[in-house]
Amino acid sequence: MTFEKSKQIWGLKWDADWVTAVQFLGDSRRVVAGNRLGQMMEWQLPDKLEGDAPQPLRQLTGHTNAITRLRCTRDGRTLYSASYDHTVRQWDTAAKSDGETKLTLNVGAVYRRSLRHSGKKVEPVLCTVALQPKSKIFANQKEWITVMLFSADEKQLITGDDGGQVVFRDRASGKVRKQWAVEGWVHALAVSPDATRAALSERRPLVFDAASRRVFRLWDIAKAEVTADLSKDFSKMYLPALAWSPDGKTILVGRGEEAEGKIWLLDAATGKKRKEVSPIHQYGVTDFIFHPDGEHFLSAGRDTVIRIWNLKDGKLVKELGKPRGGQFKDWIHAIDLTPDGTLLAAADMSGQVNIWHLA
Amino acid sequence: MKPLCKPHEHFNRRAFLKGSLLTGAGVSVANFGSLFHAQAAVNEAQKKGKRCILLWMNGGASQLDTFDMKPGRPTAGPFRPIGTNVNGLQICEYLPKMAKVADKLAVIRSMRTGSPDHPDGIYHMHTGFKQSERTPHAEIGAVIAKYCGNLDADLPSFVRMGPTGNAGPGYLGPNFAPFSLQRDGRMPTFSTSNLKPEVRERRAELFRFLETEFARQHQAEPFESHRLAKERAWRLLRAREAFDVSEEWPAHKDRYGDSNFGRGCFTALKLIERGVPFVEIGHDNYDSHANNFVCHKANLQQLDPAWSTLLLDLEDRGLLEDTLVVWMGEVGRTPNINNRAGRDHYIRAWSIVLSGSGIKGGQVYGASDEDGRDVAENPVNEGDLFATIYTALGINPRKKHFWGKRPVWLTPEEAKPIAPFLS
Amino acid sequence: MAFIILLLATLSAPAAPLRAVIDREVAQGWKTGKVEPAQLANDATFLRRSYLDLTGTVPTYAEARVFLDDAAKGKRAKLVDRLLTDKRHARHQMQIWDLIIFTRNPANPAFTRKRDAFKNWLEKQFAKNVPWDALVRKMILAEEAGSAMFHVQYRNRPEDETVAVSRIFLGTQLGCARCHDHPFEALTQRDFYGMAGFFVRLQVLQETKGKEKVYTIGEKSSGEVLFTGPAADAVPGKKGEPVAPKFLSGAALDEPDLPKEFKEPDYRKIKKAPYPKPFFSRKEKLAAWITAPENPYFARAAVNRVWAQFMGRGLVHPVDDLKPDSEPSHPALLDALAKEFVAHKFDLSWLMREIVLSESYQRDSAGPGTAAAPKWYERARVRPLSAEEFMAALRVATGFNVAQGLDAKMPNAAGSYMLKIFGKPTDGRGNFQGGVHEHMFLNNGSQLRSLISAKKGNLADTLLKSEAPWDERVDRLFLSTLTRIPSSAEREKLVAYITAKKDDKRVTRARLEESIWALLNSSRFRFNY
Repeated sequence: MTFEKSKQIWGLKWDADWVTAVQFLGDSRRVVAGNRLGQMMEWQLPDKLEGDAPQPLRQLTGHTNAITRLRCTRDGRTLYSASYDHTVRQWDTAAKSDGETKLTLNVGAVYRRSLRHSGKKVEPVLCTVALQPKSKIFANQKEWITVMLFSADEKQLITGDDGGQVVFRDRASGKVRKQWAVEGWVHALAVSPDATRAALSERRPLVFDAASRRVFRLWDIAKAEVTADLSKDFSKMYLPALAWSPDGKTILVGRGEEAEGKIWLLDAATGKKRKEVSPIHQYGVTDFIFHPDGEHFLSAGRDTVIRIWNLKDGKLVKELGKPRGGQFKDWIHAIDLTPDGTLLAAADMSGQVNIWHLA
Repeated sequence: MKPLCKPHEHFNRRAFLKGSLLTGAGVSVANFGSLFHAQAAVNEAQKKGKRCILLWMNGGASQLDTFDMKPGRPTAGPFRPIGTNVNGLQICEYLPKMAKVADKLAVIRSMRTGSPDHPDGIYHMHTGFKQSERTPHAEIGAVIAKYCGNLDADLPSFVRMGPTGNAGPGYLGPNFAPFSLQRDGRMPTFSTSNLKPEVRERRAELFRFLETEFARQHQAEPFESHRLAKERAWRLLRAREAFDVSEEWPAHKDRYGDSNFGRGCFTALKLIERGVPFVEIGHDNYDSHANNFVCHKANLQQLDPAWSTLLLDLEDRGLLEDTLVVWMGEVGRTPNINNRAGRDHYIRAWSIVLSGSGIKGGQVYGASDEDGRDVAENPVNEGDLFATIYTALGINPRKKHFWGKRPVWLTPEEAKPIAPFLS
Repeated sequence: MAFIILLLATLSAPAAPLRAVIDREVAQGWKTGKVEPAQLANDATFLRRSYLDLTGTVPTYAEARVFLDDAAKGKRAKLVDRLLTDKRHARHQMQIWDLIIFTRNPANPAFTRKRDAFKNWLEKQFAKNVPWDALVRKMILAEEAGSAMFHVQYRNRPEDETVAVSRIFLGTQLGCARCHDHPFEALTQRDFYGMAGFFVRLQVLQETKGKEKVYTIGEKSSGEVLFTGPAADAVPGKKGEPVAPKFLSGAALDEPDLPKEFKEPDYRKIKKAPYPKPFFSRKEKLAAWITAPENPYFARAAVNRVWAQFMGRGLVHPVDDLKPDSEPSHPALLDALAKEFVAHKFDLSWLMREIVLSESYQRDSAGPGTAAAPKWYERARVRPLSAEEFMAALRVATGFNVAQGLDAKMPNAAGSYMLKIFGKPTDGRGNFQGGVHEHMFLNNGSQLRSLISAKKGNLADTLLKSEAPWDERVDRLFLSTLTRIPSSAEREKLVAYITAKKDDKRVTRARLEESIWALLNSSRFRFNY
């Protein structure tokens, strides 16, 4: 596709707090999102891509702090959620719900209105949702888990946290297969399709202090050794987004954390910069995803815009969305695609999940 | 124009070194306090050997993410509270070592202050007065240097490192100007002379001669400031080794944390031991308008071991009962979290922590409301805070000085020290 | 008949020169402040002060000798005329205004820290005595090569540019109004964003030509500042509303509508100058409004700054805080200065000349009283030499690298150390804070030693090789360093000091160098008084 006719179909409103993670459950048209409070919600998207946005289907309770990552197996059956509460939880998406509850969808708007003494009254928007049965704790670390991904064959689940721990666990058994510690906090991590190499960015976000750390290195996973230190090529940059292309040839690097969100395509074999794309995500990149067509990748950032790029030449193909506010921009925290690459879900800071149809 | 009486009738070298160059009677000058308030009257503070360490959180630390947690509220953010060794007192999970010495802390949760930005906030929280006033107020370090320090000592009485205050000695005059070390407590560059002492001395005498000649007719403040600074620079050479902790540091760096701030706190301990009455250590940087939580987490990981170890070491050496340790920044931070995951400046309700110098620890004074938006009880302003600090150090908070003909007091008339802190 | 003669006499009487008005108003101020004026400064004092104020350096020994030995009448006026057209004057003016515009820590330092093209352009304007209104217009229009750097500082940040332009050229502090309505004054947040509307369409093009970066400023035909209300109310998802540009005095900008078929070019695609011309230029309107003779802020802010530059303290203090209700210390004088500046078509040289040749400027700084910059100007102000002045004066006094002239460098990387150590000698409110660090550098650093140490042709070398009696050599020493002849006590003391072991050449050299050191470290060198 050319993506020319892409447009946003729905904004799934969930104004409880910032929506920070999103994931489609396989090709089921079910989508789960997580927010900054640790809440998780699931929607079922109708087959017809039109009409009113669907109400949430299910609530998933368990985490007690922000959801940083959601990953679901390709078969749509097992969902994993990583959180600031130091845990990764595992959810059986096929399990039948065990009860239901009423909740207010626009808690945020009601609260904000209560702080003012004027303006239109805000009525609570109620809805009834089913309850997802309890999850189990898959992994327990000692710090905020900022990175969570599968190996390409989905046999391993990899986490990185602010305690500097990089852990490769066997997804079926939960056992740790490989683990090492880095000196800083794990900021972003990408793994080669054959799971032999990793690209890892670290940080210690001190300001004006000599101990501030911004490091970007390539690793040999089996030996747990650094094979290339690329920090000099990204001097003094925070790199919150890394991704390794499914064909193994390209590493995407995104700069962020309120700095200009530049994106580079690196040659995976050498680590050298092959291309720098333009334009940038103002205020930083937050997430990458590769399109299943193998020719494109998408980037999201703190400028409320999602961009679609050509993977070979780094040229911009399409921009989705427009910056929203005046001096202060909204973030798209995370994006996900359905396996057929026609639907895009975006975790929007303003309290909703945006669903786009790509065409 | 009236001729001055000859200064050499009043001048002597010792007086010159003390910075008390006198002028003829009947001439109105802006004295630096020391002229009309003779040092001969040894005040209580100096007798008791009171000292003060100011831990300055540059940029403004967030109270809701340190000492005034709001679990479960929309303004809470992702940090979680932990219990401390004081029943009912919870602080941030990223201050675990401080939680174990909470019984030494007196926490003010109801600061309500008047200057919302950095230059004005730094001034206001270092002097107790607004920057816009026409009087050049004296910083807390200068006041403590004056009342608890000794002008004849080789070590300066007001030492600081890192990002610190911007007011200077003000009406107290250049005698009480700060001496700035490097961020980690090391002496600044150009600290060694390659001249023989007798050459240094004769050259200095020539300089003093020229200055005396000039001062006969020219008394503007900057000249005095210039001369005193030069004398102080010479004196410092003699006292250099007091600032060099590099030999001892390796043994202590794990306890204080291997950071500039940690090393600075250790240097402060050594200077306090040597009798320096005031040391300020600035910690950069808490001004997290963006990425507030990761910024604070990184900062608190440096702050926690350094501050707690400093308190424990002071206590071990029997110094804590005479040393006041003040923890504060220029502003607090907003309860609302903005679109850059940051908190902006906030002065309506925030927190400051005191310990030592006889202040009873393990207590909280004042409170903010459930979301931290306003003070719920016992508001404390800058004047009240300074009245508390000075009283704890045996300094009369209503001590009067002069700027030209204008009287200036250390704190405003309505300032009230926090009674439960001082018993 | 008598009536007509009287009338003719009134009509033909020349208006009082500005310097007379200055002196009259300042004298009135002494009565108000109940102060006694100091005597007038002697030739040596005037010489050094006017050199520093007009050229940013001290006179050489030869220049000082010529002036002090000249017995002609009107020599001070002639000196001032010479200095105003001296190359060093333009350089000095450039340094002063460059520091006002960029400060020691410019915004956007990656682009602005190195700004030689701008400095050269600015220096040329002062060399040609371009009138102040034309100069400011040029900076805002940014059409001449090298003039773009002002806007580059605030690339994509129209709010920050609004604060800067208002503060520097209009003397108004708008900073608070950015986030909320000013609690005490009439300025609202909308006023702020109305001004920001003039800057929001500016584009910065950066090209590399050889080793240099060259900047061009363009202006779009569309684009507005979005106003989201007080910062405290900003939440995710809140849309901003566009604010139309409005001059600070209140009048909205009259703008034609864009034609329907107008298509804004994609500025991101333009990689080479020139940018296309906009359909309507807000920048031109702003430049015209700011520099208009009727603009209530512009002339007043300018004369207040120039007055402060020479007299040490603005008639409104601080210089960039002219509020409608701010009280100038000498209101009639400020009015007169502004009025005459406009009448003389914003001629900076003329204004400076009038100030410097007034008696008020020429007061001595000797006398009782300790204020560095007395409010009633009864004594001359005292201020430290800026880092640039200090370095230039050290080179001139010691005769270091003189051949290189204006672009001479200091030894042993002294330049960068000294900018750091001497760059900001005052506290936040302009009061000199004698830092111990200055003295550690001067006492112990090798840089000052390098300047002083006898080398072919420099001061120490010249004095050592001279065959004149030491009395005369000490006179020359004082004239070279302090621009004055020593008192007899000083002469005696220095001769005795230097010649303590006059048969030992090494000792004499060392003692001479120590004497030079003492003089260069004295208050009389460190300060402009």
